[in-house]
Amino acid sequence: MSREGSLAARYAPPLLSFAAGLALWELVGRHTNAAFLVPFSETLVTLWQLARSGELLQQTLSSLAIFSTGLAAGLLVGAPIGLLLARVAVLRRAFDVYIMTAYATPLVALIPFILSLMGFGFAPKVLVVFLFAVFPILYNTVEGARSLKPELIEVARSFRSDEWALWRDVMVPYTLPYTMTGLRQAIGRALVGMIAAEFFLSSTGLGQLIMSASQNFDTAGVLAATLVIMALGLVLMWLGHALERRFARWRV
Amino acid sequence: MSAAAIDTAREQGSFWPRLWAGIAIMLVWQITVRAFAPAYVATPIGIALAIPRIATDPTFLLSCGITLAAVAEGLVIALVVGTALGLLIGQSTLADRALRQYVNAGYTLPMIVVLPLVSLWFGYTGAARLATIVFAALFSIVLNVADGARAVPREYLEVAASFRSGRWRVLFDIVLPAAMPYFLAGLRLAAGRALIGAVVAEFFTAIPGLGYFILFNSRTFHHNEAFVAVLVLAAFGVGCDALINEATRRYLPWYRRDEVRD
Repeated sequence: MSREGSLAARYAPPLLSFAAGLALWELVGRHTNAAFLVPFSETLVTLWQLARSGELLQQTLSSLAIFSTGLAAGLLVGAPIGLLLARVAVLRRAFDVYIMTAYATPLVALIPFILSLMGFGFAPKVLVVFLFAVFPILYNTVEGARSLKPELIEVARSFRSDEWALWRDVMVPYTLPYTMTGLRQAIGRALVGMIAAEFFLSSTGLGQLIMSASQNFDTAGVLAATLVIMALGLVLMWLGHALERRFARWRV
Repeated sequence: MSAAAIDTAREQGSFWPRLWAGIAIMLVWQITVRAFAPAYVATPIGIALAIPRIATDPTFLLSCGITLAAVAEGLVIALVVGTALGLLIGQSTLADRALRQYVNAGYTLPMIVVLPLVSLWFGYTGAARLATIVFAALFSIVLNVADGARAVPREYLEVAASFRSGRWRVLFDIVLPAAMPYFLAGLRLAAGRALIGAVVAEFFTAIPGLGYFILFNSRTFHHNEAFVAVLVLAAFGVGCDALINEATRRYLPWYRRDEVRD
């Protein structure tokens, strides 16, 4: 079991296993009830039709609008509050239990309350994504800023940095990589929040694509939309990892 | 959310700030809702008054039992299957290369997306909920156990080999114990995800359980009552977390939290 292996040894197993997976899907799909599973080829045809009609693009953009607004709000709220909590020890001690509790609670349980308070619009969905995204960002920022060595702050102080300079030149740059780790975790959770909001508040975007297909017993449609969401998830996760790596470079 | 969290919880002199913050949160919540929101919206006082009534309500107790039992069952299945798969991937380069793409895809896919498919396959039943829970929990365990199995120090394996240890002996006496902290980290992640899976499955299929209890009561404008169920979910989430942190601390005191994936 050599660690590197030849090119063939490295790339053949994943490719073969991928092909085998698709072949199995195709085979099972052809020999079962269409309400249960449809072959991969039929799913692809449905996907192509969705893409050609423009519906796919439109629904993806609609979903991404909710996703990115909620995630941005999570970052804009989570990161500054995280820094503040790390800087002011008494605030951190006062609120840490409550933040941990909110982090460990399945926030998806709050969706019915949000529904009856805020109804079906854009804002309640963004709120759901925000709730899913904000706590990992907040938590990682606090933990990062807390690990800041006191000497760094002392050096800044002895050079007569004021509070503003301390934040700008020490706290924020030091904590940024940790915030990015939080952002990467938040991306995965925000994606769940986005679909949950589109399922349980009112059907829009990719969630609607799945819901309406499933209500019409259009299994090919459900599978096609699931594939799209999986692809979107992989791209967003990759983006999150890339961001994290980009900022990890100056982590000390 | 880890050993560090417990350290902060034990930080000196945090009792009073914490109490004041709690009171402040309750006050702001109570006053805001009373001033701006309709009368049915949950308030701390309303929830506190609802607790004795709900805690003795047979429907509620049954809902708790059903959901928590389903989560426990799903976690056990995910643990057994996930540990086996994780060991396989961690131990064999071939299995890793062939299977990792599926595990990564399963981990990345927002689990909630499988609800329409799962309810198509298993019907609007408890089996659909169980499948959702297993799907939600499985992949974080596989990934963590695989990382753990790969992180076994090479010297340990070499020593075992020079004493002519059998394959199973090595697996159970060296690889599994070495993968333990990773396994626990995966379990902590999995427990949280399983709980979310159970709730969304109940929202989606409307089968009895805590999620449905919340859905039903909030639709009939009994927000205080519904919120008691949210508190139970929160307590379960926090409880799982604390339990696993404590287990890590007591039985694996040498392990550092930054070694495992989150």
